[in-house]
Amino acid sequence: MDVHPPYLYPDYKSTRLRAPSEPLVRVAPSPLEATGPVFPKHFVKDSEADLTTWGRSAPLGEKMVLVGRLLDEDGRPVRRSLIEVWQANASGKYPHPVDDHEAPLDPNFLGKGQVLTDDEGRYRIVTVKPGAYPWQNHAFGWRPAHIHFSLFGNAYAQRLITQMFFPGDPLLAIDPIFQSVPEAGRRLLIADLDLEQGVEGVALGYRWDMVVRGPRATPMGV
Amino acid sequence: MPKPTPSQTVGPFFARELLWKDGGGVLFPGRGDRITLTGRVFDGNGAPIYDALFETWQADAVGKFPSGDDGSRPYGYGRVSTDSDGRYAVETVMPGSFTGPGGERYAPQISVAIFARGLLKGLRTRVFLAPLELIKDDPLARAIGDPDRLRTLIAARDAGDPKIYRWDVRLRGAGEAVFIEF
Ligand SMILES: [Fe+3]
Repeated sequence: MDVHPPYLYPDYKSTRLRAPSEPLVRVAPSPLEATGPVFPKHFVKDSEADLTTWGRSAPLGEKMVLVGRLLDEDGRPVRRSLIEVWQANASGKYPHPVDDHEAPLDPNFLGKGQVLTDDEGRYRIVTVKPGAYPWQNHAFGWRPAHIHFSLFGNAYAQRLITQMFFPGDPLLAIDPIFQSVPEAGRRLLIADLDLEQGVEGVALGYRWDMVVRGPRATPMGV
Repeated sequence: MPKPTPSQTVGPFFARELLWKDGGGVLFPGRGDRITLTGRVFDGNGAPIYDALFETWQADAVGKFPSGDDGSRPYGYGRVSTDSDGRYAVETVMPGSFTGPGGERYAPQISVAIFARGLLKGLRTRVFLAPLELIKDDPLARAIGDPDRLRTLIAARDAGDPKIYRWDVRLRGAGEAVFIEF
């Protein structure tokens, strides 16, 4: 069963002019696509996994620790793989020129980080919970709080960009981007509260595992 | 068996987070003919898409797959965004052809991924850097069959500057490029 959203999902208006109209051609990953870019260890500094230490003082918002594992569909850990994250600040504002949300920037928060998974596929990032923000897709539209994730896996065929959401968020029900995911897949985009991963008196803990396809999975039905 | 994590759009706010200085200059350890792959990305109305992330992954000049890095960035990988005209440009080496496990011959090509607002899943395809006559045995060319559809994946060598390969990508509608899934 496919857990991915369709390309065309009219409730998310931008898909209407950008989704291909022709069916995709199903092929096996080429041997090139069964390999992928290799990020050197020092491409990522340890400090880049902590989004809260970038400024002169702590950013505003609810501090949180997010841990999890990156696995492939066979349940194997994806090791030494680049994870990039970006997010709005606690008031739902990105430090981006096209973000016209009238909310304050936080001089102590850039909202950008990266980490390499370890030998068990584990990652850990420290950040603040992003705020929800309005968007113009539909009347009274607000995006639920989310963290953007960019994953490489170990093969270019595994490349995935996605978003992580928070448990119990009432905005999930009105978000066409989240709702575009078939019901069977939605739970997979929501982190679990995991208090013991947090820091007592300092940061809430969350856990979110991610799964990328196998590097060589053969096409179905061909 | 764990289920794969569903895809979501990259959204409009990735520029400062995902773009690198010189991300459009693809690194390789060996020598090769330097070329530029450039073109524009269009939506279903033929309007330029100015907020797409355009990525490339490719073999080196002799068809070997890159496996390392130059100390700063991985070999063989390009990453740029389109500009206000929908234009992208990646400067790289001319990739060699390569052979699959069953002996199938892959024509000179670059594996491409396009992410953008409005794309709930990244679009995957392969652009060929060789004319139609020379790619007929390529596995993707065979899977597509129809030469008119196949032509949407062939980069045209610039008549005035043979180092430039031009490839426009229409995501939807007339002249829509062929996209693939694995
Ligand atoms: Fe966002």
